[in-house]
Amino acid sequence: MILGLQIIGIFFAFVMIYFSLLHYRKGEINKLEEISWVVIWALTIFVVIFPELLRTFAQKFFITRLFDLMVVGGLVLVIAMVARAYVSTKRMEKKLEDLVRREALKKLKVKK
Amino acid sequence: MNISVVIPAFNEEERVGPVLKELGSTGLPVIVVDDGSTDRTNEVLSKLKVESEKLIVLRHRVNLGKGAAMKTGAEAAFGLGADAVIFMDSDGQHKPQDLPKFIEALNSQKYDVVFGSRNLSFGVPLVRYLGNKFASVLVALLFGKYVSDLLCGYRAVTKRAYKKIDWESTGYAVETEMAIKTAKYRLKHCEVQVQTVYLDNVKGVTVIDAFNILIDVVRWRILL
Repeated sequence: MILGLQIIGIFFAFVMIYFSLLHYRKGEINKLEEISWVVIWALTIFVVIFPELLRTFAQKFFITRLFDLMVVGGLVLVIAMVARAYVSTKRMEKKLEDLVRREALKKLKVKK
Repeated sequence: MNISVVIPAFNEEERVGPVLKELGSTGLPVIVVDDGSTDRTNEVLSKLKVESEKLIVLRHRVNLGKGAAMKTGAEAAFGLGADAVIFMDSDGQHKPQDLPKFIEALNSQKYDVVFGSRNLSFGVPLVRYLGNKFASVLVALLFGKYVSDLLCGYRAVTKRAYKKIDWESTGYAVETEMAIKTAKYRLKHCEVQVQTVYLDNVKGVTVIDAFNILIDVVRWRILL
């Protein structure tokens, strides 16, 4: 029997698949990224429907409840993604700063 | 010593004109960096540029922040042959009458960095006074150097000091970073007393900026 929480999880995953397709159609992500995200969310749906698949995995990490495993796994994933987004934003900021400052100094004949 | 004045400006269409007119009498080369203003600042600066040969106007296409504008101005000044630069705000909070104190300190060749220091116990809102003192004490505790007016943007650096400090802050954390790196690299520095001018509705460090500066201070303590 599928619980309410599972329904929410499945619904969320379908919404994310829709967003993946939408971003691909808008040209914001490439084909490989689209496929990757669709596969990730499809796997998520599969795991949400058949959580027992993770039982052995959870036992290896001494986690009794599957729900706890998912929460811990999700948290690790979110932290990793936030860290990646932070580095990426910093890199973009630096590039933008360099570009704008170089452009401002372009007309001036300055010695480096 | 060739000294230039560098002024970062953002949305200061009303105040930047009088500041530059006052500075005109000093005879110092002035570089104003319009940091992506969305008002008529650039228009005002373009008019003033026609009137003054000593004025150079640079423009950031987008707003990067005070630290980035200061860096652009300093690079332009040093690239054009300056030996030192004096940073001033564009909103009239810093008075050109105090410039001789910076020039004297720089010309003595004893100092690499000259910090302007306002009399904070007079005419400064209590919250800003407390925030400023807290920052000064925190930096003193973490880096062993007390700068009495850490957040005052009226300051001067020599080319040598600029190359050492090479700040990364693009926003309001620049003043704190300069003070911390001055301490870190043991640069010779002094403080000069400058006038305290607080204007109504003045822009400046917000609570969010202060919080970000605090995080940066901790980060610099770990990384530097």
